[in-house]
Amino acid sequence: MSNIRLLKVLFFGCIIVLIDGINRSAASPFIKDSFLGISPEDEDYYKGLLSSSSAIKCKDGTKKFNKSQLNDDFCDCPDGSDEPGTSACPNGKFYCKNAGHIPVLLYSSRVNDGICDCCDGSDEYDGKTKCPNTCWEAGKAAREKLRKKIATYQEGVIIRRQEIERAKVSITKEEGELSKLKDEEKILKGLVEKLIKMISVILFHMTQFGITPVDEPPQDSVEHHDKSINEPELKDHSVKDEIPDKGNAEQPGKDLHCLIPSKAGLDTGEISDSNLLRNLSVFDPKWTDCNGTSSSWWRIRYRKQLKSIFEAIFVNVFQAPVNISDAAYVRKEYDESSAKLSKIQSRISKLTKKLKQDFGPEKEFYSFYGQCFEGKENKYVYKVCPYEKATQEEGYSTTRLGSWEKFEDSYRTMQFLNGDKCWNGPDRSLKVKLRCGLKNEVTDVDEPSRCE
Amino acid sequence: MGKPLCTILFLLLFINCCFSWKKDEFRDCNQTPFCKRARSRKPGACSLIATDVSVSDGDLVAKLVPKENNQENSENQGKPIKPLILRISAYQDGVMRVKIDEDQSLGPRKKRFEVPDVIVAEFLEKKLWLQRLKEEKNEDGSGILSVVYLSDGFEGVIRHDPFEVFVRESGKKGKKVLSLNSNGLFDFEQLRDKKEENEDWEERFRSHTDSRPYGPQSISFDVSFYDADFVYGIPEHATSLALKPTKGPGVEDSEPYRLFNLDVFEYIDDSPFGLYGTVPFMISHGKSRGSSGFFWLNAAEMQIDVLGPGWNDEFSSVLMLPSDQKRIDTLWMSEAGVVDAFFFVGPGPKDVVRQYTSVTGAPALPQLFAVAYHQCRWNYRDEEDVYSVDAKFDEHDIPYDVLWLDIEHTDGKRYFTWDKLLFPNPEEMQKKLAAKGRHMVTIVDPHIKRDDSYFIHKEASQKGYYVKDATGKDFDGWCWPGSSSYLDMVNPEIRSWWADKFSYENYVGSTPSLYIWNDMNEPSVFNGPEVTMPRDALHYGNVEHRELHNAYGYYFHMATADGLVKRGDGKDRPFVLSRAFFPGSQRYGAVWTGDNTAEWEHLRVSVPMILTLGLTGISFSGADVGGFFGNPDTELLVRWYQLGAYYPFFRAHAHHDTKRREPWLFGERNTELIKEAIHVRYMLLPYFYTLFREANASGVPVARPLWMEFPTDEKTFSNDEAFMVGNSLLVQGIYTQRAKHASVYLPGDQSWYDMKTGTAYKGGATHKLDVSDDTIPAFQRAGTIIPRKDRFRRSSTQMENDPYTLVIALNSSKAAEGELYVDDGKSFEFQKGAYIHRRFTFSNGRLTSSNLAPLTAAHSKFASDCTVERIILLGLSPEPKTASVEPGNETVDIELGPLVLREGKGRSVLTIRKPNVRIAEDWTIKVL
Repeated sequence: MSNIRLLKVLFFGCIIVLIDGINRSAASPFIKDSFLGISPEDEDYYKGLLSSSSAIKCKDGTKKFNKSQLNDDFCDCPDGSDEPGTSACPNGKFYCKNAGHIPVLLYSSRVNDGICDCCDGSDEYDGKTKCPNTCWEAGKAAREKLRKKIATYQEGVIIRRQEIERAKVSITKEEGELSKLKDEEKILKGLVEKLIKMISVILFHMTQFGITPVDEPPQDSVEHHDKSINEPELKDHSVKDEIPDKGNAEQPGKDLHCLIPSKAGLDTGEISDSNLLRNLSVFDPKWTDCNGTSSSWWRIRYRKQLKSIFEAIFVNVFQAPVNISDAAYVRKEYDESSAKLSKIQSRISKLTKKLKQDFGPEKEFYSFYGQCFEGKENKYVYKVCPYEKATQEEGYSTTRLGSWEKFEDSYRTMQFLNGDKCWNGPDRSLKVKLRCGLKNEVTDVDEPSRCE
Repeated sequence: MGKPLCTILFLLLFINCCFSWKKDEFRDCNQTPFCKRARSRKPGACSLIATDVSVSDGDLVAKLVPKENNQENSENQGKPIKPLILRISAYQDGVMRVKIDEDQSLGPRKKRFEVPDVIVAEFLEKKLWLQRLKEEKNEDGSGILSVVYLSDGFEGVIRHDPFEVFVRESGKKGKKVLSLNSNGLFDFEQLRDKKEENEDWEERFRSHTDSRPYGPQSISFDVSFYDADFVYGIPEHATSLALKPTKGPGVEDSEPYRLFNLDVFEYIDDSPFGLYGTVPFMISHGKSRGSSGFFWLNAAEMQIDVLGPGWNDEFSSVLMLPSDQKRIDTLWMSEAGVVDAFFFVGPGPKDVVRQYTSVTGAPALPQLFAVAYHQCRWNYRDEEDVYSVDAKFDEHDIPYDVLWLDIEHTDGKRYFTWDKLLFPNPEEMQKKLAAKGRHMVTIVDPHIKRDDSYFIHKEASQKGYYVKDATGKDFDGWCWPGSSSYLDMVNPEIRSWWADKFSYENYVGSTPSLYIWNDMNEPSVFNGPEVTMPRDALHYGNVEHRELHNAYGYYFHMATADGLVKRGDGKDRPFVLSRAFFPGSQRYGAVWTGDNTAEWEHLRVSVPMILTLGLTGISFSGADVGGFFGNPDTELLVRWYQLGAYYPFFRAHAHHDTKRREPWLFGERNTELIKEAIHVRYMLLPYFYTLFREANASGVPVARPLWMEFPTDEKTFSNDEAFMVGNSLLVQGIYTQRAKHASVYLPGDQSWYDMKTGTAYKGGATHKLDVSDDTIPAFQRAGTIIPRKDRFRRSSTQMENDPYTLVIALNSSKAAEGELYVDDGKSFEFQKGAYIHRRFTFSNGRLTSSNLAPLTAAHSKFASDCTVERIILLGLSPEPKTASVEPGNETVDIELGPLVLREGKGRSVLTIRKPNVRIAEDWTIKVL
């Protein structure tokens, strides 16, 4: 049950495309036995040795060696510079040209050890081991592989670019939506507050004039207010169908009920009518001002009906009793507005949360948001949801491997931390390594140790 | 890995509940009736006298009977005690064997168990046919003595009344060396019928009941070591090398040293508590005389007290003990069996070890790869994990020879099988590693899953090959696979059947590069009393488990090793690592110190534990590098590698709940440090292999206490922080965090050369040395020559043809000598003479290589083209410029070079450049 897991996830969205030259090195013109194991970059250094009759310094400058000591199978330089072609120096490196394939620098420990390391066989020259030259075949295979890889990368780059474009569009759209929603939220908030006040005033009037509000539950049943009381009224309401989410609609109803007892506060005279009037007058002009940008139902209705009720209430505060149907109407308005407000707020918070995420320098990981990738390894299903969490599932049991933490290693790794606690050990965690490809998928799962 | 791991977790919880180190999980002496009884007896309580002393069949024999009219004898409770038979035999090289058993002619209730297959056949051939018996009247009033010749300078003696057996230096006034029953504590509970029908013989411990159908049958006696300053040996305990007294005035209340093979979860680092293995062999050492040894061949639970000076003062008047000799008394107690004891006269420490291994066998010569570095973890998860670890070693140019697979590689802990998901292609995997000269080891434990579809279980249960419980049914215990039964390895037929399971056909997925690890063979039984098998379980020949418990793991180890020999047609030396052990285990493979913990104190105690094993014949041993339980901090891990590189058996291992800790996981610097530590081991492989051959020939261990090399230097006697690797290297671990200095005592009158810098330090002094993170203190003794191979490969396999470096550390008379042993590193051909054994001698400015192998009788030859590429001379002045090589009279350069190639730092040392002499030939190099 290790809690560090490595998932290699094949993602498109190539970050770096590295195409190395295939036939970088042409055959060296300095082929001589004493030049065995020397890389092209070092040829000048050794040419200097051969042309001078005296000793030259080891590359690390510590000691000196002469021509006859080059590749004489005895280590004179601690850094191995006198023995590029033998195993005499533990710190040495052997260069195989591997014509037809990629040149390689080997540890000197591989020279004449009976194992063919260079495809040209040049590391085994003591006659004990015969190494066929396999560079051409190996090179061909490698080139083919590289070609495929390049093709994949190229295709991947295109997909990635498209992905980035899409992300940009989406983000702009979402940012626009967010700012619009924020405006609406502000307005709606005002309206809701105003409605609350209206309701308070209405309730106050009703109590004053001995009218029992239709929907006010008896005091002792405030706790089980519910749809059975509210719904018949909603049915009458023409706008009911316009409330898209019923679940949300319940919330304001509840809020309202919670508000009702606050008339007790009114009874004690904490809120005076003059305050109410003043507040409303502040709001009023604003309501009428915003019609230019809005075609929302509530704005329209506000102008037609609400306004008249407002006026009715606040003009005749101390004169005429409030019409019961008006009161119900206000109540309805409140329900709908706060439902809408709560919806907008939830959307705002979702968008804010999303846009806050690190989608990469070019927003190339934008499309991962809200997506999950699954990989099956033996009997486990590993589920990785970027920006959220990762789990390991077996049948109905789920082990949390971690919550989204961040990208690491220049966006090549995703980190999930603080998963379920490992028995007698730390919390589980997960690293997701990203690799360029054509599809977003989990390709491999590894668990280096049970509890780490 | 959710679910299977959950299963393991539950198991772990279970284990945790059952054997985490809690004192009360295990019996102490007071809860063990035979121990409590023996420990409470008073000196002089033994009333037996020797009668009818005579020589018979080349042995000295006598009867032990209670002294007549002995009023104090309350132990026989009014019933006549039958005589015991005492038999003393002498063997070549100063070994005296003493057997005491019930008189078989009187038809005892049951034949008491004598441990078979421990004493080697060659030993029995060394028996001396005793001819004469000398009667002596002792002047000090101690009565009549019967004396026989033992070896030149030593005699075996029986004192008649009270009975005492001892070895003394020859002559009437000869000093005592070793004695038995000098304190009159001898006691032998003879088998008898129940006194009355309802006499309760059962023993209860926690929820377990031992039916004890044969009743009490314990044996105890005292053994005295004369002129001894310290006693050592009797593994396995996590404690100091020199055994601390467990009883006596001023000694803190302590348990006796317990010898009872147990699977102890998270053992503590300083305790007389018995661990996984047993060797009831004690060796004494003192400045004035040297060493002697005592070995009791007995496989039942044993408890041993080391008695502090003055423990018997109040009884001194009755005991007649010599007052002019220093002495260490010990009390040996065993639950069952017979007295079959061996006295070793020494006089040197190496003599005692040689004498002991002449009885129980010389350590096997391991294959070369087994002497190199082993990489283990519970568990390398699957083939991919194996390949990736293997590749990482290459990526970092770190050599290793063996990759290990723990229990999770099996199909449900059914040994000889593979988990098909994790290891679908085991043969291919082994072959890929073998292509780089690397080997693999899989675990095979003695608990067999009770699953009718498992071929081992099916056969074993059909053939009746399992140990039976007290009612005669196959014993069923709980271990890794769940419900399990245990093979009865004391039966040679079952061992032979088991050995056949290792053939390539039977062990599907095994290849010639696969070797074996025996774990849990104490045996570990999770739900058994003290986590092992009930004592009333029954073995082959109606032997109770109590009688052979400590040898169970030994027989399992033996059968496994025999299996590998069979598998290779007798041509491939086996490698089997075992956790449990018994005298003779050295013939079958390596042991390790079990499940230690990643703590500094466990690093420290690993040294006395390994040294003790070496003293008792088991030379090839090591501790888990890094510590099995817990996560070592990086510094501890590095220090452990630096010390572990000098363990005879060098393996890193870790529990599966620990963090991964392969050498490259701790940053570049620490990777370098660990790599360097491993390189030191590979560099010294020719030296180590030569030492393993020495152990194989003489029993003298690879890792030795300092006093074994410096037996007259008292300062070394209780030193268990430093040790010798062979006779040439002294190593001391760093056992504390962030150490800046270390005090190292360098014994003897010759200098010591720092292995890394070549700096010389005076002998016979304690040096306060600066300590860096890149090495632990390690010194070459002046007067020695160490053969090295300074080139590194992927594994030891590729080093075969690499040239040698000889490091010559000259003593004050500008002389030095050393040896090199080389063979094919694999086969048994060396036993037919196919090896190279050279002696290098440097004196008068000349280095000579001469042959040490017998020239005649070599039926087989081993050839090597290897040459010497470099000879380093430490302590030579004035500095010569050239040397001439004979034959050929070639001149070679002498220049200044590094002592260790990889370092390139430190003082430059005199180096003979490319003498290119062949290792197999005679030659002389003269320094000009």
